[in-house]
Amino acid sequence: MDDSLPSPGEPRREDQHRTPSPSTLLPKTQPSGFYGKHRLAAAISNLQNQINYLQEELDQLEEIGEASIVCKELISSVESIPDPLLPLSKGPTNINWDRWFKGAQNSRKRWI
Amino acid sequence: MSVAELKARHVAATETVNSLRERLQQKRLLLLDTDVVAVAGYAKAHGKSSVSFGATDLVCCRTLQGHTGKVYSLDWTPEKNRIVSASQDGRLIVWNALTSQKTHAIKLPCAWVMTCAFSPTGQFVACGGLDSVCSIFNLNSPSDKDGNLPESKMLSGHKGYVSSCQYVPDEDTHLITSSGDHTCVLWDITTGLRTSVFGGEFQSGHTADVLSVSINGSNSRMFVSGSCDSTARLWDTRVASRAVRTFHGHEGDVNTVKFFPDGNRFGTGSDDGTCRLFDIRTGHQLQEYYQQHSDDEVRHVTSIAFSISGRLLFAGYSNGDCYVWDTLLAQCIAGKIWPLFLKGNGKCTHMPFWLF
Repeated sequence: MDDSLPSPGEPRREDQHRTPSPSTLLPKTQPSGFYGKHRLAAAISNLQNQINYLQEELDQLEEIGEASIVCKELISSVESIPDPLLPLSKGPTNINWDRWFKGAQNSRKRWI
Repeated sequence: MSVAELKARHVAATETVNSLRERLQQKRLLLLDTDVVAVAGYAKAHGKSSVSFGATDLVCCRTLQGHTGKVYSLDWTPEKNRIVSASQDGRLIVWNALTSQKTHAIKLPCAWVMTCAFSPTGQFVACGGLDSVCSIFNLNSPSDKDGNLPESKMLSGHKGYVSSCQYVPDEDTHLITSSGDHTCVLWDITTGLRTSVFGGEFQSGHTADVLSVSINGSNSRMFVSGSCDSTARLWDTRVASRAVRTFHGHEGDVNTVKFFPDGNRFGTGSDDGTCRLFDIRTGHQLQEYYQQHSDDEVRHVTSIAFSISGRLLFAGYSNGDCYVWDTLLAQCIAGKIWPLFLKGNGKCTHMPFWLF
Protein backbone atom coordinates (compact mmCIF):
# COMPACT_ATOMS: atom_id res chain seq x y z
CA MET A 1 0.00 0.00 0.00
CA ASP A 2 1.30 3.42 -0.87
CA ASP A 3 0.29 5.76 1.94
CA SER A 4 2.36 8.59 0.50
CA LEU A 5 -0.24 9.24 -2.21
CA PRO A 6 -2.78 11.90 -1.29
CA SER A 7 -5.99 10.51 0.09
CA PRO A 8 -9.17 11.32 -1.83
CA GLY A 9 -10.56 12.32 1.52
CA GLU A 10 -8.38 15.43 1.63
CA PRO A 11 -10.15 17.66 -0.91
CA ARG A 12 -13.31 17.95 1.18
CA ARG A 13 -11.39 19.42 4.11
CA GLU A 14 -9.91 22.12 1.86
CA ASP A 15 -13.24 22.80 0.19
CA GLN A 16 -14.90 23.19 3.56
CA HIS A 17 -12.39 25.79 4.66
CA ARG A 18 -12.80 27.62 1.38
CA THR A 19 -16.61 27.84 1.58
CA PRO A 20 -17.23 31.57 1.32
CA SER A 21 -19.28 33.49 3.87
CA PRO A 22 -21.96 35.75 2.37
CA SER A 23 -19.81 38.88 2.88
CA THR A 24 -16.99 37.44 0.77
CA LEU A 25 -19.35 36.87 -2.13
CA LEU A 26 -19.11 40.56 -2.97
CA PRO A 27 -16.56 41.16 -5.74
CA LYS A 28 -13.79 43.57 -4.92
CA THR A 29 -14.03 45.86 -7.93
CA GLN A 30 -17.57 47.03 -8.54
CA PRO A 31 -17.94 50.82 -8.35
CA SER A 32 -21.72 50.78 -8.43
CA GLY A 33 -22.14 47.71 -6.17
CA PHE A 34 -24.83 46.44 -8.57
CA TYR A 35 -23.50 42.89 -8.77
CA GLY A 36 -23.05 42.80 -4.98
CA LYS A 37 -26.66 43.91 -4.42
CA HIS A 38 -27.98 41.05 -6.48
CA ARG A 39 -25.90 38.53 -4.56
CA LEU A 40 -27.04 39.97 -1.24
CA ALA A 41 -30.66 39.98 -2.33
CA ALA A 42 -30.38 36.32 -3.38
CA ALA A 43 -28.79 35.44 -0.04
CA ILE A 44 -31.58 37.25 1.83
CA SER A 45 -34.18 35.42 -0.25
CA ASN A 46 -32.50 32.13 0.64
CA LEU A 47 -32.54 33.03 4.33
CA GLN A 48 -36.22 33.97 4.09
CA ASN A 49 -36.94 30.51 2.64
CA GLN A 50 -35.07 28.93 5.54
CA ILE A 51 -37.11 31.03 7.98
CA ASN A 52 -40.30 29.76 6.36
CA TYR A 53 -39.16 26.13 6.49
CA LEU A 54 -38.08 26.44 10.12
CA GLN A 55 -41.41 28.02 11.06
CA GLU A 56 -43.24 25.20 9.25
CA GLU A 57 -41.21 22.64 11.18
CA LEU A 58 -41.98 24.38 14.48
CA ASP A 59 -45.67 24.28 13.62
CA GLN A 60 -45.44 20.59 12.71
CA LEU A 61 -43.84 19.82 16.06
CA GLU A 62 -47.10 20.81 17.72
CA GLU A 63 -48.72 17.84 16.01
CA ILE A 64 -46.11 15.09 16.12
CA GLY A 65 -45.87 12.60 18.92
CA GLU A 66 -43.29 12.24 21.58
CA ALA A 67 -40.17 10.16 21.12
CA SER A 68 -41.51 7.24 23.19
CA ILE A 69 -44.14 6.46 20.55
CA VAL A 70 -41.44 6.21 17.92
CA CYS A 71 -39.20 4.13 20.20
CA LYS A 72 -41.95 1.58 20.74
CA GLU A 73 -42.43 1.24 17.00
CA LEU A 74 -38.68 0.92 16.42
CA ILE A 75 -38.29 -1.89 18.95
CA SER A 76 -41.25 -3.73 17.50
CA SER A 77 -39.83 -3.43 13.98
CA VAL A 78 -36.36 -4.66 15.00
CA GLU A 79 -37.64 -7.64 16.97
CA SER A 80 -39.92 -8.83 14.18
CA ILE A 81 -37.16 -9.42 11.58
CA PRO A 82 -35.01 -12.60 11.76
CA ASP A 83 -31.33 -11.69 11.89
CA PRO A 84 -28.58 -14.27 11.23
CA LEU A 85 -25.94 -12.17 12.99
CA LEU A 86 -27.71 -12.26 16.34
CA PRO A 87 -26.93 -15.06 18.80
CA LEU A 88 -30.67 -15.57 19.22
CA SER A 89 -33.18 -14.73 16.54
CA LYS A 90 -36.75 -15.52 15.61
CA GLY A 91 -37.67 -17.45 12.54
CA PRO A 92 -36.93 -20.74 10.81
CA THR A 93 -33.41 -21.67 9.77
CA ASN A 94 -32.66 -20.11 6.41
CA ILE A 95 -30.38 -22.32 4.33
CA ASN A 96 -29.38 -19.34 2.19
CA TRP A 97 -27.79 -17.82 5.26
CA ASP A 98 -26.23 -21.05 6.48
CA ARG A 99 -24.08 -21.40 3.37
CA TRP A 100 -22.06 -18.40 4.60
CA PHE A 101 -21.35 -19.95 7.97
CA LYS A 102 -20.08 -23.33 6.79
CA GLY A 103 -16.54 -23.79 7.98
CA ALA A 104 -16.99 -21.31 10.80
CA GLN A 105 -15.44 -22.37 14.06
CA ASN A 106 -18.70 -23.07 15.81
CA SER A 107 -22.36 -23.24 14.98
CA ARG A 108 -23.74 -21.32 17.89
CA LYS A 109 -26.62 -19.90 15.89
CA ARG A 110 -29.82 -20.67 17.68
CA TRP A 111 -33.21 -20.14 16.12
CA ILE A 112 -36.26 -19.67 18.31
CA MET B 1 -32.26 49.67 -1.36
CA SER B 2 -28.61 50.39 -0.62
CA VAL B 3 -25.96 47.75 -0.02
CA ALA B 4 -25.76 48.84 3.61
CA GLU B 5 -29.50 48.32 4.06
CA LEU B 6 -29.32 44.92 2.36
CA LYS B 7 -26.46 43.90 4.63
CA ALA B 8 -28.48 44.92 7.66
CA ARG B 9 -31.42 42.85 6.43
CA HIS B 10 -29.07 39.92 5.87
CA VAL B 11 -27.78 40.13 9.43
CA ALA B 12 -31.33 40.33 10.80
CA ALA B 13 -32.49 37.36 8.73
CA THR B 14 -29.47 35.32 9.88
CA GLU B 15 -30.33 36.10 13.49
CA THR B 16 -33.92 35.02 12.93
CA VAL B 17 -32.77 31.73 11.40
CA ASN B 18 -30.45 31.03 14.35
CA SER B 19 -33.14 31.90 16.87
CA LEU B 20 -35.69 29.64 15.16
CA ARG B 21 -33.17 26.79 15.08
CA GLU B 22 -32.63 27.16 18.80
CA ARG B 23 -36.36 27.14 19.46
CA LEU B 24 -36.68 23.98 17.38
CA GLN B 25 -33.92 22.29 19.30
CA GLN B 26 -35.51 23.20 22.63
CA LYS B 27 -38.88 21.99 21.45
CA ARG B 28 -37.43 18.66 20.33
CA LEU B 29 -35.71 18.20 23.68
CA LEU B 30 -39.06 18.62 25.38
CA LEU B 31 -40.49 15.87 23.19
CA LEU B 32 -37.75 13.45 24.22
CA ASP B 33 -39.81 12.08 27.04
CA THR B 34 -37.66 9.05 27.75
CA ASP B 35 -34.75 8.80 30.14
CA VAL B 36 -31.19 9.06 28.87
CA VAL B 37 -31.59 9.70 25.17
CA ALA B 38 -34.69 8.20 23.59
CA VAL B 39 -34.32 4.60 22.45
CA ALA B 40 -31.84 3.30 25.04
CA GLY B 41 -33.84 4.75 27.91
CA TYR B 42 -37.11 3.42 26.58
CA ALA B 43 -35.66 -0.03 25.84
CA LYS B 44 -34.11 -0.36 29.31
CA ALA B 45 -37.32 0.80 30.96
CA HIS B 46 -39.14 -1.96 29.10
CA GLY B 47 -36.81 -4.71 30.20
CA LYS B 48 -34.75 -5.12 27.05
CA SER B 49 -31.30 -6.55 27.61
CA SER B 50 -28.28 -6.01 25.44
CA VAL B 51 -27.17 -8.45 22.79
CA SER B 52 -24.03 -10.16 23.98
CA PHE B 53 -21.42 -11.83 21.88
CA GLY B 54 -19.07 -14.54 23.04
CA ALA B 55 -15.42 -14.49 22.04
CA THR B 56 -16.05 -16.67 18.99
CA ASP B 57 -19.47 -15.39 18.00
CA LEU B 58 -18.26 -13.07 15.24
CA VAL B 59 -15.96 -15.00 12.97
CA CYS B 60 -14.29 -14.22 9.71
CA CYS B 61 -15.90 -16.35 7.05
CA ARG B 62 -14.32 -14.91 3.91
CA THR B 63 -11.21 -12.89 3.09
CA LEU B 64 -11.12 -11.35 -0.37
CA GLN B 65 -7.56 -10.80 -1.48
CA GLY B 66 -6.51 -9.02 -4.63
CA HIS B 67 -6.45 -5.26 -4.23
CA THR B 68 -3.04 -3.65 -3.83
CA GLY B 69 -4.25 -0.40 -2.34
CA LYS B 70 -6.78 0.93 0.15
CA VAL B 71 -10.34 -0.16 -0.49
CA TYR B 72 -12.59 2.90 -0.41
CA SER B 73 -15.97 1.43 -1.16
CA LEU B 74 -17.84 -1.79 -1.79
CA ASP B 75 -21.35 -2.85 -2.63
CA TRP B 76 -23.36 -6.07 -2.79
CA THR B 77 -25.76 -7.26 -5.46
CA PRO B 78 -29.37 -7.46 -4.23
CA GLU B 79 -29.07 -11.28 -4.36
CA LYS B 80 -26.20 -10.91 -1.90
CA ASN B 81 -23.88 -13.23 -3.78
CA ARG B 82 -21.48 -10.80 -5.51
CA ILE B 83 -19.51 -7.79 -4.42
CA VAL B 84 -17.91 -4.90 -6.29
CA SER B 85 -15.03 -3.12 -4.55
CA ALA B 86 -13.16 0.06 -5.50
CA SER B 87 -9.59 0.69 -4.54
CA GLN B 88 -6.87 3.30 -4.60
CA ASP B 89 -4.97 0.84 -6.81
CA GLY B 90 -7.20 2.17 -9.61
CA ARG B 91 -9.36 -0.92 -10.06
CA LEU B 92 -12.84 -2.16 -9.52
CA ILE B 93 -12.95 -5.84 -8.67
CA VAL B 94 -16.10 -7.91 -8.90
CA TRP B 95 -16.11 -10.93 -6.59
CA ASN B 96 -18.19 -14.05 -6.20
CA ALA B 97 -18.60 -13.54 -2.48
CA LEU B 98 -19.42 -17.16 -1.73
CA THR B 99 -16.33 -18.62 -3.45
CA SER B 100 -14.06 -15.55 -3.09
CA GLN B 101 -13.25 -15.79 -6.82
CA LYS B 102 -12.73 -12.62 -8.86
CA THR B 103 -14.97 -12.42 -11.91
CA HIS B 104 -13.83 -8.99 -13.20
CA ALA B 105 -10.89 -6.68 -12.57
CA ILE B 106 -11.66 -3.34 -14.21
CA LYS B 107 -8.85 -0.87 -14.72
CA LEU B 108 -10.26 2.61 -14.23
CA PRO B 109 -9.41 5.64 -16.39
CA CYS B 110 -9.08 7.65 -13.16
CA ALA B 111 -7.41 5.89 -10.26
CA TRP B 112 -8.87 8.22 -7.62
CA VAL B 113 -12.07 6.34 -7.14
CA MET B 114 -14.16 7.01 -4.03
CA THR B 115 -17.33 5.03 -4.54
CA CYS B 116 -18.84 2.08 -6.39
CA ALA B 117 -22.23 0.48 -6.70
CA PHE B 118 -23.86 -2.58 -8.23
CA SER B 119 -26.95 -2.18 -10.39
CA PRO B 120 -30.14 -3.97 -9.24
CA THR B 121 -29.86 -6.63 -11.98
CA GLY B 122 -26.16 -7.11 -11.30
CA GLN B 123 -25.32 -6.43 -14.94
CA PHE B 124 -23.72 -3.01 -14.39
CA VAL B 125 -21.37 -1.39 -11.91
CA ALA B 126 -20.95 2.33 -11.36
CA CYS B 127 -18.08 4.24 -9.82
CA GLY B 128 -17.00 7.82 -9.26
CA GLY B 129 -14.26 9.87 -7.67
CA LEU B 130 -11.97 12.83 -8.12
CA ASP B 131 -12.60 12.99 -11.87
CA SER B 132 -16.13 14.35 -11.03
CA VAL B 133 -17.65 11.75 -13.34
CA CYS B 134 -19.77 8.72 -12.58
CA SER B 135 -18.69 5.88 -14.90
CA ILE B 136 -20.87 2.90 -15.76
CA PHE B 137 -19.48 -0.47 -16.86
CA ASN B 138 -21.47 -3.31 -18.43
CA LEU B 139 -20.09 -6.53 -16.98
CA ASN B 140 -21.37 -8.51 -19.96
CA SER B 141 -19.48 -6.40 -22.51
CA PRO B 142 -16.42 -7.79 -24.24
CA SER B 143 -13.06 -6.31 -23.26
CA ASP B 144 -11.25 -4.02 -25.69
CA LYS B 145 -8.02 -4.93 -27.46
CA ASP B 146 -5.98 -4.11 -24.35
CA GLY B 147 -8.08 -6.43 -22.23
CA ASN B 148 -9.86 -3.55 -20.47
CA LEU B 149 -13.60 -3.26 -20.00
CA PRO B 150 -14.69 -0.03 -21.71
CA GLU B 151 -17.03 2.42 -20.02
CA SER B 152 -20.56 2.00 -21.32
CA LYS B 153 -21.62 5.44 -20.06
CA MET B 154 -20.07 8.47 -18.44
CA LEU B 155 -22.32 10.69 -16.35
CA SER B 156 -20.77 14.15 -16.50
CA GLY B 157 -22.09 17.31 -14.92
CA HIS B 158 -20.88 17.45 -11.36
CA LYS B 159 -18.56 20.36 -10.64
CA GLY B 160 -16.80 18.50 -7.86
CA TYR B 161 -15.71 15.00 -6.90
CA VAL B 162 -18.25 12.19 -6.80
CA SER B 163 -18.21 10.94 -3.20
CA SER B 164 -20.98 8.36 -3.25
CA CYS B 165 -23.36 6.68 -5.68
CA GLN B 166 -26.27 4.29 -5.41
CA TYR B 167 -28.62 2.81 -8.01
CA VAL B 168 -32.32 3.39 -7.48
CA PRO B 169 -33.66 -0.04 -6.39
CA ASP B 170 -35.38 -2.11 -9.10
CA GLU B 171 -34.05 0.10 -11.89
CA ASP B 172 -30.82 -0.22 -13.80
CA THR B 173 -31.65 3.09 -15.44
CA HIS B 174 -31.37 5.58 -12.57
CA LEU B 175 -28.84 6.29 -9.90
CA ILE B 176 -28.15 9.01 -7.36
CA THR B 177 -24.76 10.57 -6.73
CA SER B 178 -23.43 12.92 -4.06
CA SER B 179 -20.67 15.39 -4.75
CA GLY B 180 -18.11 17.85 -3.49
CA ASP B 181 -20.05 20.49 -5.46
CA HIS B 182 -22.66 20.51 -2.61
CA THR B 183 -25.32 18.72 -4.64
CA CYS B 184 -26.88 15.30 -5.13
CA VAL B 185 -28.04 14.34 -8.61
CA LEU B 186 -30.56 11.84 -9.90
CA TRP B 187 -29.31 10.57 -13.27
CA ASP B 188 -31.09 8.98 -16.20
CA ILE B 189 -28.38 6.56 -17.28
CA THR B 190 -29.98 5.82 -20.65
CA THR B 191 -29.64 9.43 -21.80
CA GLY B 192 -26.71 10.32 -19.53
CA LEU B 193 -28.59 13.43 -18.41
CA ARG B 194 -29.43 14.79 -14.98
CA THR B 195 -33.09 14.26 -14.14
CA SER B 196 -32.89 16.34 -10.95
CA VAL B 197 -30.30 18.31 -9.02
CA PHE B 198 -30.82 18.48 -5.26
CA GLY B 199 -29.34 21.59 -3.73
CA GLY B 200 -26.89 23.85 -5.46
CA GLU B 201 -26.45 27.55 -5.90
CA PHE B 202 -30.02 28.65 -6.44
CA GLN B 203 -31.75 26.06 -4.32
CA SER B 204 -32.00 25.29 -0.66
CA GLY B 205 -29.68 22.39 0.05
CA HIS B 206 -26.38 21.44 1.60
CA THR B 207 -23.94 24.27 2.09
CA ALA B 208 -20.80 22.16 1.84
CA ASP B 209 -19.50 18.98 0.20
CA VAL B 210 -21.96 16.09 0.24
CA LEU B 211 -20.20 12.90 1.24
CA SER B 212 -22.78 10.14 1.26
CA VAL B 213 -26.23 9.11 0.03
CA SER B 214 -28.58 6.31 0.98
CA ILE B 215 -31.83 5.47 -0.79
CA ASN B 216 -34.80 4.22 1.21
CA GLY B 217 -35.24 0.51 0.47
CA SER B 218 -38.95 0.71 1.35
CA ASN B 219 -39.69 3.86 -0.66
CA SER B 220 -37.21 4.56 -3.41
CA ARG B 221 -38.47 8.13 -3.85
CA MET B 222 -36.80 9.08 -0.58
CA PHE B 223 -33.10 9.34 0.07
CA VAL B 224 -30.86 10.89 2.68
CA SER B 225 -27.56 12.69 2.23
CA GLY B 226 -24.76 13.55 4.65
CA SER B 227 -22.46 16.54 4.30
CA CYS B 228 -19.50 18.53 5.54
CA ASP B 229 -22.07 21.11 6.68
CA SER B 230 -22.69 18.76 9.65
CA THR B 231 -26.24 17.99 8.61
CA ALA B 232 -28.09 15.12 7.06
CA ARG B 233 -30.99 15.92 4.73
CA LEU B 234 -33.96 13.90 3.63
CA TRP B 235 -35.03 14.36 0.00
CA ASP B 236 -38.05 13.44 -2.08
CA THR B 237 -36.88 12.82 -5.65
CA ARG B 238 -40.00 14.56 -6.94
CA VAL B 239 -39.07 17.80 -5.17
CA ALA B 240 -35.56 18.98 -5.93
CA SER B 241 -35.99 22.55 -4.77
CA ARG B 242 -35.76 21.85 -1.06
CA ALA B 243 -35.03 19.06 1.36
CA VAL B 244 -38.02 17.48 3.09
CA ARG B 245 -36.18 17.84 6.39
CA THR B 246 -32.75 18.82 7.67
CA PHE B 247 -31.30 16.92 10.62
CA HIS B 248 -29.00 18.86 12.91
CA GLY B 249 -27.02 17.53 15.83
CA HIS B 250 -23.65 16.40 14.55
CA GLU B 251 -20.69 18.63 15.30
CA GLY B 252 -18.57 17.65 12.34
CA ASP B 253 -18.69 16.31 8.78
CA VAL B 254 -21.35 13.67 8.29
CA ASN B 255 -19.27 11.12 6.41
CA THR B 256 -21.79 8.35 6.06
CA VAL B 257 -25.57 7.87 6.06
CA LYS B 258 -27.52 4.62 5.86
CA PHE B 259 -31.24 3.93 5.91
CA PHE B 260 -32.49 1.66 8.66
CA PRO B 261 -34.02 -1.60 7.41
CA ASP B 262 -37.62 -0.50 8.16
CA GLY B 263 -37.21 2.62 6.03
CA ASN B 264 -38.53 4.97 8.73
CA ARG B 265 -35.17 5.80 10.28
CA PHE B 266 -31.63 6.29 9.19
CA GLY B 267 -28.20 6.21 10.78
CA THR B 268 -25.31 8.64 10.40
CA GLY B 269 -21.59 8.63 11.18
CA SER B 270 -19.51 11.74 11.64
CA ASP B 271 -16.13 13.33 12.23
CA ASP B 272 -17.42 14.17 15.72
CA GLY B 273 -16.91 10.49 16.57
CA THR B 274 -20.59 9.71 17.03
CA CYS B 275 -23.15 7.70 15.14
CA ARG B 276 -26.76 8.79 15.44
CA LEU B 277 -30.17 7.39 14.63
CA PHE B 278 -32.84 9.78 13.29
CA ASP B 279 -36.54 9.25 12.66
CA ILE B 280 -37.63 10.57 9.25
CA ARG B 281 -41.27 11.25 10.03
CA THR B 282 -40.84 13.21 13.24
CA GLY B 283 -37.29 14.42 12.73
CA HIS B 284 -36.34 13.24 16.24
CA GLN B 285 -32.80 12.18 16.99
CA LEU B 286 -33.55 8.83 18.59
CA GLN B 287 -30.12 7.79 19.76
CA GLU B 288 -26.46 8.67 19.83
CA TYR B 289 -23.71 6.03 19.80
CA TYR B 290 -20.45 7.24 21.29
CA GLN B 291 -17.75 5.75 23.45
CA GLN B 292 -15.51 7.96 25.52
CA HIS B 293 -11.82 7.13 25.37
CA SER B 294 -9.07 8.18 27.72
CA ASP B 295 -6.54 8.93 25.00
CA ASP B 296 -6.37 11.77 22.48
CA GLU B 297 -6.66 9.56 19.43
CA VAL B 298 -8.96 10.97 16.76
CA ARG B 299 -11.80 8.63 15.84
CA HIS B 300 -13.92 9.85 12.96
CA VAL B 301 -16.73 7.54 11.91
CA THR B 302 -16.04 6.73 8.27
CA SER B 303 -18.59 4.06 7.49
CA ILE B 304 -21.69 2.39 8.97
CA ALA B 305 -23.98 -0.52 8.19
CA PHE B 306 -26.99 -2.08 9.90
CA SER B 307 -27.63 -5.79 10.24
CA ILE B 308 -30.73 -7.08 8.51
CA SER B 309 -33.04 -6.42 11.48
CA GLY B 310 -31.35 -3.18 12.45
CA ARG B 311 -30.47 -4.51 15.89
CA LEU B 312 -26.75 -4.25 15.16
CA LEU B 313 -24.93 -1.16 13.94
CA PHE B 314 -21.45 -1.71 12.56
CA ALA B 315 -19.26 1.38 12.58
CA GLY B 316 -15.82 1.80 11.03
CA TYR B 317 -13.54 4.50 12.38
CA SER B 318 -10.63 6.45 10.92
CA ASN B 319 -8.13 4.78 13.26
CA GLY B 320 -9.01 1.36 11.84
CA ASP B 321 -11.34 0.25 14.61
CA CYS B 322 -14.66 -1.38 13.88
CA TYR B 323 -17.25 -1.44 16.64
CA VAL B 324 -20.57 -3.22 16.84
CA TRP B 325 -23.35 -1.35 18.61
CA ASP B 326 -26.62 -2.68 19.98
CA THR B 327 -28.86 -0.03 18.39
CA LEU B 328 -31.64 -0.40 20.94
CA LEU B 329 -29.52 -0.28 24.10
CA ALA B 330 -26.79 2.00 22.67
CA GLN B 331 -24.10 -0.30 24.03
CA CYS B 332 -20.92 -1.23 22.28
CA ILE B 333 -21.01 -5.02 22.26
CA ALA B 334 -17.89 -5.80 20.27
CA GLY B 335 -14.94 -3.68 19.35
CA LYS B 336 -11.71 -3.71 17.40
CA ILE B 337 -12.92 -6.67 15.38
CA TRP B 338 -10.36 -7.70 12.85
CA PRO B 339 -10.18 -9.25 10.39
CA LEU B 340 -13.88 -9.04 9.85
CA PHE B 341 -16.20 -9.76 6.99
CA LEU B 342 -19.61 -8.32 7.59
CA LYS B 343 -22.74 -9.39 5.88
CA GLY B 344 -25.54 -7.12 6.82
CA ASN B 345 -28.65 -6.18 4.96
CA GLY B 346 -26.93 -6.06 1.64
CA LYS B 347 -24.26 -3.55 2.59
CA CYS B 348 -20.90 -3.89 4.23
CA THR B 349 -18.87 -1.45 6.17
CA HIS B 350 -15.72 -0.04 4.69
CA MET B 351 -13.27 -2.88 4.85
CA PRO B 352 -10.31 -2.32 7.12
CA PHE B 353 -7.23 -1.93 5.01
CA TRP B 354 -5.24 -4.70 6.65
CA LEU B 355 -7.46 -7.33 5.03
CA PHE B 356 -5.62 -6.81 1.75
